[in-house]
Amino acid sequence: MKVMGCSRMTEKIIELDNISVTFKQKDQTIEAVKNVSLDINKGDVYGIVGYSGAGKSTLVRVINLLQKPSSGKAVINGDVFYENIDGHEKIIEINKLRKKRRKIGMIFQHFNLLNEQTVVQNVAFALKHSSLKEKEITKKSLDLLKLVGLEERANAYPSQLSGGQQQRVAIARALANDPEILISDEGTSALDPKNTIQILDLLKRLNNELGLTVVLITHEMEAVKRIADRVAVMENGEIIETGNLLDIFVHAKHKLTREFVGTESGSAKALATLKAAKLVQLDSDQECIQLTYIGSSVSESLIVKLYKDFDIIASIIYGNIEILQETPVGALFVIVKGSAENREKAITFLKEQDIIVTKVEAGEIFNG
Amino acid sequence: MAELFTKYFPNVVYQGWGGDGGWLPAIGQTLYMTFWSAIFGGILGLIFGIGLVLTDSDGILPNRGTFSFFDKVVSFFRAIPFIILLAFIAPVTQKIVGTQIGTTAALVPLSLGVFPFYARQVQVALASVDHGIIEAAQSLGATFSDIIFDVYLREARSELIRVTTVTLISLIGLTAMAGAIGAGGLGNMAIAYGYNRFANDTTFIATLLVLIFVLLVQLIGDFLARILNHKNS
Repeated sequence: MKVMGCSRMTEKIIELDNISVTFKQKDQTIEAVKNVSLDINKGDVYGIVGYSGAGKSTLVRVINLLQKPSSGKAVINGDVFYENIDGHEKIIEINKLRKKRRKIGMIFQHFNLLNEQTVVQNVAFALKHSSLKEKEITKKSLDLLKLVGLEERANAYPSQLSGGQQQRVAIARALANDPEILISDEGTSALDPKNTIQILDLLKRLNNELGLTVVLITHEMEAVKRIADRVAVMENGEIIETGNLLDIFVHAKHKLTREFVGTESGSAKALATLKAAKLVQLDSDQECIQLTYIGSSVSESLIVKLYKDFDIIASIIYGNIEILQETPVGALFVIVKGSAENREKAITFLKEQDIIVTKVEAGEIFNG
Repeated sequence: MAELFTKYFPNVVYQGWGGDGGWLPAIGQTLYMTFWSAIFGGILGLIFGIGLVLTDSDGILPNRGTFSFFDKVVSFFRAIPFIILLAFIAPVTQKIVGTQIGTTAALVPLSLGVFPFYARQVQVALASVDHGIIEAAQSLGATFSDIIFDVYLREARSELIRVTTVTLISLIGLTAMAGAIGAGGLGNMAIAYGYNRFANDTTFIATLLVLIFVLLVQLIGDFLARILNHKNS
């Protein structure tokens, strides 16, 4: 905060402080979000992942106050939207909120377009209260459709479009009032893989070109991996881990995070394959380790070095490289053979090379 | 042809076109009653239907007290059989129209009889609008009137036309009963001049005309509902 030189780069646009959301249903209260604090910086693509029911959608609805929290404080772009610190509730005035909401675009899993209005009317609807004249509204709507590559379908009705096209219209509509924040609530979850990638790339492009802050709610790690800078993992209404994308992938602390990262990364699949095939039998002088490395730090010479210096025979049984934030992240499953002492030394050596070494218990692979 | 008709439908011909008990006034009265009570009952029904949806617990203006008021009024009027309602609200009719009998006097019970039915139908039609679309509109900073007119009424318009058709048809049914307070119309023709005088041919033709009327309403309603629906084209 004191570092003025960086203030522009780390300007907070969304500040959620100790936010809780409780629903009262007859006799029981459900805590959908529990004391969540989350800061999102301007210009970030911020991914919030978790299984369904984790409270992601509820949390993100607090940002534009579609969901009123039960306690905490929400400051969006410098405006206090909600504050309830010790039972004294302060909510932004509704007319002011409407104006502010126009600066927070939102897209949804099921697009939520107006079915009885054409594509261009859908975009124009968002501009109904702008200062623009009718002609200018039409022009701006068409320009926005051009931006998402749909100007030719301006007079079609949403039902005549594919899911991917409908989501583009929704994006054009969400961008109509030149928002600074765009929230995607499972925006790609109803799309096929090809459309998912196109929509994600479009969001990234908008992030780059317009400096749009994107909040990406998803249960698909693939989406986060493709465009997010920072990630928060949610479970049972709580944020259990946050960090930048690479850290979350490589140094995940929480079991659920690893599970999430794992379900999408090749290593989990590899483990499952190995488990199913029962290909490898480990002798007493063998063990299986997973090596994770960032960048291209591992080369074959390591294997040679292990043999020369530590008398260890290493055989690679599986390898995989993924690109995250334009950085390669590799994972190798290796069976190392040698005396227990030498194996320990070799592992220490590998760790010194900035390689993350995880011992894969025999049970994890071989007895399933 | 004309002779054949006179032979088989002597009473129909006897009633004549114009004058007291004629066919044209009867048709006119049915149209008059249907039209005006559709307007008054329709407006009342729309207001109550919209009110019910907006003030419901998951509506955009949740308010238990107001919802309960709308709900009770609608339920109360729906519970009264129409023929009893005619008599029951006669004093009110007297206050509003100045008389308890006649075609115009029938508009009061007809409007009050049809509005609760319409209100429920409108409520169901509007509730069919995907809540996600309303949420999306809110996220765009839409006002309450935007949400009522551009989202609820426009998104549900095809469904609204369908329920309006159903309501109009049941309203035509109600106008037949209004004959009981001297409102005339085709229903009265069928009962007073047909059934009560053993003139089955008159009853038959009156019924046929009501049927044609209903059919026309249905056809027009279906057509409009179809061309105004872009949900699944």
